[in-house]
Amino acid sequence: MFQTTDSGQDKHIAWVLLLPLAFIVSGTLIRFLAFRYAQPDTEWTNYFGALCRWDCGWYIRMAETGYDPFPIPSRVNAGNWAFFPFYPMLVGLIGKIIPLPTIVLASLLSIGFTYVAVVVAWPLLGRSLRAYTLYAAFMLSGPVSFYFTTFFTEVMYVLLTTLVFRYLAKSDYLGAAGAAALLSGTRIVGVFSSLSIGVKALMDYRQVNGTWRGVVGGIFGQPKLVLAIFISPLGLFAYMAFLNHWIGDGLAFSHTQRAWGRQVANPAVYLWEGLVNWPTNGAILSNSQILAVAAVVGLFVTGILAWRRQWPAVIFCFLGIIIPLAAGLASMLRFMSAMAPITITLATLFGRNRIVFAISLAALLVSAWFVTLAWLGGNVALV
Amino acid sequence: MRLSERSPAALAAYALAALLALFELAVLWQALHPNVSADYRAYYIDRTTTCLPQPVTGDYALGTELDFRSGGDNTRETRPCGWDGPAGDGMHSIGETSRLRLAIGRRQNLTLMLELTGVTLPGPAQQRVVISVDGKKLREIAVTPDKTERFTIPVPIDALDEDGFADIALDYPDAISPGKRVANTYWRSVKLTAASLSPA
Repeated sequence: MFQTTDSGQDKHIAWVLLLPLAFIVSGTLIRFLAFRYAQPDTEWTNYFGALCRWDCGWYIRMAETGYDPFPIPSRVNAGNWAFFPFYPMLVGLIGKIIPLPTIVLASLLSIGFTYVAVVVAWPLLGRSLRAYTLYAAFMLSGPVSFYFTTFFTEVMYVLLTTLVFRYLAKSDYLGAAGAAALLSGTRIVGVFSSLSIGVKALMDYRQVNGTWRGVVGGIFGQPKLVLAIFISPLGLFAYMAFLNHWIGDGLAFSHTQRAWGRQVANPAVYLWEGLVNWPTNGAILSNSQILAVAAVVGLFVTGILAWRRQWPAVIFCFLGIIIPLAAGLASMLRFMSAMAPITITLATLFGRNRIVFAISLAALLVSAWFVTLAWLGGNVALV
Repeated sequence: MRLSERSPAALAAYALAALLALFELAVLWQALHPNVSADYRAYYIDRTTTCLPQPVTGDYALGTELDFRSGGDNTRETRPCGWDGPAGDGMHSIGETSRLRLAIGRRQNLTLMLELTGVTLPGPAQQRVVISVDGKKLREIAVTPDKTERFTIPVPIDALDEDGFADIALDYPDAISPGKRVANTYWRSVKLTAASLSPA
């Protein structure tokens, strides 16, 4: 990931704006054909509904009916308080104005937000056309593009993360804090972007002054930065205030995890157990191994970011991997796919060489077909 | 904009930051002091139970034998928590406690019948089941894996509260984890195929 500032003129602006549109078309075509192939008897109009699997159903219900009270009317223990509000509630609000079925509206909005997320990432991709092409293909037409084109919070998570790092590249703490505030209301790990802002402020201080001496006064002597520090976790605190009011427990998003049977343990143990959980059904990799490999790749790229001294991204990625990993490997592939600093860095790496770029692009587009089929088939590694 | 400037904008930024800090501290304090029911606290926060009682009517005609297998009676309104199913071999216990709630009308001496089978997961040779009614422990029974047995337990009038219901709890001290690192909310012990509560 590049930490570049905006440049006034950009000769590739037309390419930057148009290329993702091409991938929107190709991605929609691939996923639609995969849907028709997997479910030939299903009405084609149910395309968006067929791709809405696992947590997507929770988000639809949230957008339509909001948060569960306690006791939960459906008499289950798993309250939807586990899911952070920003994106589903935004879809719900827009749904009050645009009368479309929720999954259709959410899918269209997701495609739009993903388009914006890709365009916004352009400077972070080093303004490299090859890196940009790979990133756009991955998000809109890649193997896990269904995360970003149906109804998952990952869409908004990627967009807001990208905005945080765009603002941080310019040392615009308030802009970053605004995006971070929304990010912390999108997924719990989004709150770690607050730490990225703090780390960036420290790095800036050191760069400007050449010393750590007087750092505390230097930091707290900047009113915009102080304000940014308290704005950035505001989404999380607003949600906690709502939960306090709604069910009397501001930490219900964490407490309700008990209903899913999540066991907190050493992340390294979960990782190791996943890696050595060999398949027994003749597959090349077991689901646990796929999830563990996703986490390992995430940690490896975080290591690359550390080697490049991109500490704000390092702290964000490291905590964004380790904290969910402490509760198990579940959804790790989805989490890694939505970790923008990691996928952007990978795009820049694979975009360096023309041949590697061509192979990577082909692999992304071809694998979209097979992974979409696996998604429609209910493969739990993709949950 | 720096503090040393003491401009109105800088002071406003500090004031807003202070307000936000106060709001966040207040929210945090509230979150650390939840205002929830005892059942909520026990299940979600203290984790002292795996069985979160859901509201049920407890509709039941005294003396009726309920069939808890799939295709049997609709027993949803008698099962507040701790059951998974029904399945063909009965209602599977889930967690370390299961509950039944049965309407009894006026207080009287009763006889509780439970038909239970132990689960066949690797574990103890028998599953102990501690049976309580309205919070009073009545008896501990032992259920054998893959063997269906009927247990009859007297419920004295003194054990019953005056709310018109018998709240029956089955605690499983030997509940078995079905896999590595599975939370106790998903542990297994017995399968319930039939139950009744009759006047003694």
